[in-house]
Amino acid sequence: MNSITSSATNHPSLHMRLAAIFSAIMIALVAAPSLAPGTFDFLQPLKIDTDPENMLAADEPVRVFHNEMKAEFTLHDLIVVGVVNTAHKEGVFNAETLGEIHALAEYAETIRWKAENDDTEQQGVIAIDIIAPSTVDSIEQAGLGSVRFNWLLPAPPTSDEEALAVRERAQRIPTLNDTLVSGDGTAIALYIPITSKDVSFRVAKALRSKIAEFEGDAVFHITGLPIAQDQFGVEMFKQMAISAPAAMALIFALMWLFFRRLDLIVSPMIVAMVSVIGAMGLLVATGNTVHIMSSMIPIFVMPIAVLDAVHILSDFYDRYPAIKDRRKTLDHVMGELWQPMLFTTLTTCTGFASLAFTPIPPVQVFGIFVAIGVFFAWFFTVTLIPAYIMLMPEKAFSGFGMGAKGEDADHETTPLARFLHSVGEVAVTRSKIIVSIFLIALAIAGYGVTQIRINDNPVKWFGPDHDIRVADRALNERFGGTYMAYLALSAPESDDASAIAVEIDNRLAALDTQAARTLAEEARERQTKFNTGDEFVAALRASGERARDDADADDDWYAWDDALLAVDAALQSRDIFKRPDVLRYIEKLQRHLGETGLVGKSNAVTDIVKTVHRDLFLGEEEAFRIPDTPEAVAQTLITFQNSHRPQDLFKLVTPDYRKAVVWLQLKSGDNVDMSAVIAAVERYVAANPPPTVIDHDWFGLTYINVAWQQKMVSGMARAFLGSFVIVLILMTLLFRSFAWGLLSMAPLTVTIGVIYGVIGLIGKDYDMPVAVLSSLSLGLAIDYAIHFNARSRQIYRELGDWASTAKAAFGEPARAIFRNVIVIGVGFLPLLLAPLVPYQTVGAFISAILVLAGVATLLGLPALITIFQPILFPKRSEV
Amino acid sequence: MIKKTFIAVTAIAASLLSSAHAQEPVDALNVQDIVDRASAAAYYQGRDGRASVHMAILDAQGRERTRDFVILRTDIDDLDNGEQRFYVLFERPADISKTAFLVWKHADANDDRWLYLPALDLVKRIAPSDERTSFVGSHFFYEDVSGRGPGEDDHVLEEETDAYYVIRSTPKDAQGVEFASYKNWIHKTTFIPVKTEYYDASGEAYRTYSATAVETIDGNPTVVEATMADTRIGGETRMSYGDVAYDIDLPEDIFSERYLRNPPRRHLR
Repeated sequence: MNSITSSATNHPSLHMRLAAIFSAIMIALVAAPSLAPGTFDFLQPLKIDTDPENMLAADEPVRVFHNEMKAEFTLHDLIVVGVVNTAHKEGVFNAETLGEIHALAEYAETIRWKAENDDTEQQGVIAIDIIAPSTVDSIEQAGLGSVRFNWLLPAPPTSDEEALAVRERAQRIPTLNDTLVSGDGTAIALYIPITSKDVSFRVAKALRSKIAEFEGDAVFHITGLPIAQDQFGVEMFKQMAISAPAAMALIFALMWLFFRRLDLIVSPMIVAMVSVIGAMGLLVATGNTVHIMSSMIPIFVMPIAVLDAVHILSDFYDRYPAIKDRRKTLDHVMGELWQPMLFTTLTTCTGFASLAFTPIPPVQVFGIFVAIGVFFAWFFTVTLIPAYIMLMPEKAFSGFGMGAKGEDADHETTPLARFLHSVGEVAVTRSKIIVSIFLIALAIAGYGVTQIRINDNPVKWFGPDHDIRVADRALNERFGGTYMAYLALSAPESDDASAIAVEIDNRLAALDTQAARTLAEEARERQTKFNTGDEFVAALRASGERARDDADADDDWYAWDDALLAVDAALQSRDIFKRPDVLRYIEKLQRHLGETGLVGKSNAVTDIVKTVHRDLFLGEEEAFRIPDTPEAVAQTLITFQNSHRPQDLFKLVTPDYRKAVVWLQLKSGDNVDMSAVIAAVERYVAANPPPTVIDHDWFGLTYINVAWQQKMVSGMARAFLGSFVIVLILMTLLFRSFAWGLLSMAPLTVTIGVIYGVIGLIGKDYDMPVAVLSSLSLGLAIDYAIHFNARSRQIYRELGDWASTAKAAFGEPARAIFRNVIVIGVGFLPLLLAPLVPYQTVGAFISAILVLAGVATLLGLPALITIFQPILFPKRSEV
Repeated sequence: MIKKTFIAVTAIAASLLSSAHAQEPVDALNVQDIVDRASAAAYYQGRDGRASVHMAILDAQGRERTRDFVILRTDIDDLDNGEQRFYVLFERPADISKTAFLVWKHADANDDRWLYLPALDLVKRIAPSDERTSFVGSHFFYEDVSGRGPGEDDHVLEEETDAYYVIRSTPKDAQGVEFASYKNWIHKTTFIPVKTEYYDASGEAYRTYSATAVETIDGNPTVVEATMADTRIGGETRMSYGDVAYDIDLPEDIFSERYLRNPPRRHLR
C-alpha cells in the first residue's frame, strides 16, 4: 500500500480531523470577507459575475473597441419595458394605458441615488436619455408651412382619440417606429438607460413597484440585457443551491441501493463535499469570480470525486466477505486500484487543465479549478475512504459485502454478476460484430459532426417559459428586434494639409475675386510649411481676417469675407458623414440589411436627415430623402438640433462627422444570425465600394457574443486535441505499450464521436456548455478504460490467457464500472430540473457520456482485445 | 427725446395704477419690480443693438463645436419688457453660413419664429410650442436667448446680500417647462442676472447660467461672456459677445421675412 494511504489507515482520526480543518478554513476564507465586508480587507469576498462580456478578457481588442465606441456615442446599457395590451383593440393606444406609460416614464426619471462611496456620483436611471413617448420629440406639420417640434406625449392623454393621434405621430418618425412604437401599432417599448449594469436590479425593483400600482389591462414586460444578467445570477444560485445538492442526494440513494450500508457510503459524500469546498473555496479566495462557468465547478467535481470512491467501495464490498479483515481487504483493494486511480486522476486533470489554454478567461478559470478539485478528490479518496473504513468498528462489517448473506458466499451468482458475465461473453465471442457496430456508429457520428451548427444565444440559456424568454418573444414579435448590434463607420484618421489645400484652391478659384486670388496665392506658398490641415487653415484664416478688417470699401470687405468662408468650407470637406453620396450609401446598406430578413430595423443619421427634410417640405413623402448638398444636410441637422434632445444626434454620428454608427435591431440574438448579418455587410461592401474610404467595424453585445464564441470554438478544439495527445502519452507510459495506450483511447473516441455526432444529427446547437463537455467526456471516458485495462492486465499476469482473464475481468472490475455508470449517470439527471438551459445540457450530457463510455468500455474494449490479442498480449504463450 | 419722456411718464403712470389697483403686499411688488428690471437689463438695453457672438459648445466628452453668428435686435417703441424683434444670422460653421432666424417676441403671446435654410432655399415658420428647446444644439435654450417673460413665473425674494437679490421663481404653468423652479442672483446696482440655477422636482440644481464677464458698452452694462452648464447631458456652452453696439438705428423693416433670404449685410458687417 502507498505511504499516503498507510498513513491514513494508521492515523485515521487525524486524517478525518485534518480534512475537517481544511474545509473549515476554506469556508471561513470565503465567509469572512463576504459576510463582514470591510473587516477582512485582505481576503477576497464572493464575487458574482453574470456579465457575458467577461467571456472576453478586459484587454481583448473587440471589447476595448466596444467600450470606446459606447463611450464615444454615449450609449448606455438599457432596461427595456415592453408594454402590451391585448384586452384593448388598439393595444396600448388608449387613454388609460398611455396614462400609465406616462406615469411610469415620469417615475423612472426619479429612480436615482447617490453612490455609496462617492457623494458626487449619481447612480440609477439616466433620465435625460430615457426613450419614452413623453421624453422624445416629434416633428410635425403645424398648418400652413409651419413645422413644430414638440414632445410626442407632452401630457397624459385625456381621450382615446388623443392616444391614437400619438400613435399616428410616432409611426411617421422612422427612428421611433418599430423601436418605441411596435410595427403593428399595438405596443410601446420604453428604453431606460442606466449608469451601469449592476444597478439594474434596484432600478427594475423600483419599476415593478410602480407598475404594481397600475390597474389597467396592460402587461409590462421588464427585460433587456442587464435584467437577463441579474436573473441569471439568481438562477445560478438556485442551481447551486438546489440542483447540485439534489444530484448529490440521488447519488447517495443509488449508492445505498448497491452497498446497503448508510454509514459506509457517507464516506464518498464526504470526499465530494471536501473536494468541492476546497476547489470553490480556493476559487473565491484567489479573487476569481463565480461566473456561469465557474458555478458549474461543483457539478463537474462531484461525479469525478465519487467515481474513485465507488471503485474502492465496490472492490471492498466484493472482497471483504472473502478476506474478512478490513485492513487486509483495504491493502488488497488499494494495491489493485492505486495505479488506475492515480492515472485516471492525472488524465482527468489533464483534460480540464488543458482548458487553461483556451482564450476565454472564465473557461480557463473553470478548467484550472476543476483540475484542482479533481486532485483534491483523488487525495481525499485515497486518504479519507481508508481512514473512514478504519474508524468503523470491525463488527460493523459482519454480514457486509457481496453474497455475504448467502450461505455459499459465491458473489459471482447475483443477477448483476450474471448479467455482466454474459456481457463479457458476448463481447469476446461476438467481437468482430461489436467492433463493426462501433465503427458504423462512428461513421454515422462522423457525418453528424459535419452537421454541427455552432451557435449560442445567452438569452436562450433561460428555459422557454422563463419570464425573460416570454418578454423576449412578446417584444420581438411586435418590434424591430431587441438584440442590438452596432456597425461603426469611420473615415481614416488623417489631417493632411495637402488634401485641404486642393479643396481651398478649387473653392477660391470659383469665387473669381481679387481677394480670393490673393488668398489662393498665399495658400499655395504656405501649404508645405504646415504639418496638419488645421494649422494650415488657422494661419490662412488669420491673414485673411487681417485683410478683411483692413478693407475700407464694403465690397472689398465682402470679397474677403467670402474668401474666408471658402477656406472654412474647404476644411469642412473632411466631414464625410454630411456628404450626400456617403449618406445615400449608408441608406442603401440599411435597405440591403433590411432585406436580409435578419435585421428588423436600423437607425442611422440618414433617418434623422430624411425625416427632418420631409417635414421641412410639408411632410410630403417624396421629400423623405437625403438632400443634394452637404450644406443642405448640415442645415437639416442644425434644424434637428433645435429640438429638446439635440444630443441624440451624437449617438449616431460624432460631432466632427468623421464617425457614424448604424444601430441594428435584430429579432434574434443567435450567433448564427449575427454572423449572417456580418457576412451580408462584408458582401455588400465588397460588391459596392463606398464613395470614399470608410472603415467598418462592429460592436454591441450581440457582436461580442459572436466574437467570444469564435475564440471558444477554435480554442476548445486546440485544447481538446492537445489533451487527447497528452492522455495518449500518459496511457502509453502507464501501460508501457503504445498498443495499450491506443486501445485505452478507443472508448473515449467512440463516446466523444457519438456524443458530438448526435448533437449534429438532432440539431442541438454547439454552444458554450456543449463545447466544455468535450473535456469532461475525455476525463470520464478514459477512467473506465484505465480501470478495465489495468485490471485486465493484472489478472492476465496471474492467469496467463485472455479467455479466463476476460471472465475474471467481468467479475469485480466490470461491476465497479457498472456501478459507477449507474450511480453517476442517474445521479446527474436532477440537473434536467435546473432553471437554466446550460445546466440541463450538462446534466443530460454527463449521463449520456457515462452510459456511452460504460458501454464502449465494457463491450468495445474486450472485443478489441479479443481481435488484437496477439499484439496486446504478445509472446506470453511462448514464454 | 420726446418719445422717451412720454414712455417714462406712461411707465410711472402704469406702475402707480397697478400698485393702486392690485393692492399686493409691498414685498411681492418689489420682487416683481426687481425681476422686471433684471429682464430689462438683460434683454432691453438701448433702443436696438447688435453683437457678434462666438458660441463654443463643449460636450460631456470635451468635444467642441462652435457657432458664429451676428445678432441684431430692436425694441418696438423702445419699451422695456415689451415687443422685440431679433435677427440672428449664422456665419460659421461654413456649411450653415447664411442660415437665419427671425423672431418677433411678444410680451403676452407666443413668439413668432421663422427659420431660413439657404441650402434648401427654404423659409419655414416654426409653430409655437414650448420654447425650452435647444438653441442650435447648445446648452442654451431658445428661451435663454430671447428671454423668459417676467410674468411667466411667481417670484419670491429669498435672500438679499450686499451685492445681489436672490430670487426664487416658480412657473405659473408647470406644463411645458422642465424645471420645478429657478433661482436668480441679480446684481443690485446693474440689475444684471449674474447666475441662474434651475432645480428639478427633487430640488437638485441641474442647469446653471453664469455671466462670466460684464462690460459697460455705450453706457449699458452688458454681459460679454456667459456660460450655461447642464449636468444632465454634461458639458457647457460658452457665448462670447464681440463688437457690441447699441442704438445703431436699425431699420425695422430688416426684421421681416423678406430679409431672411437677403441678409442686410451692411448691418451685419
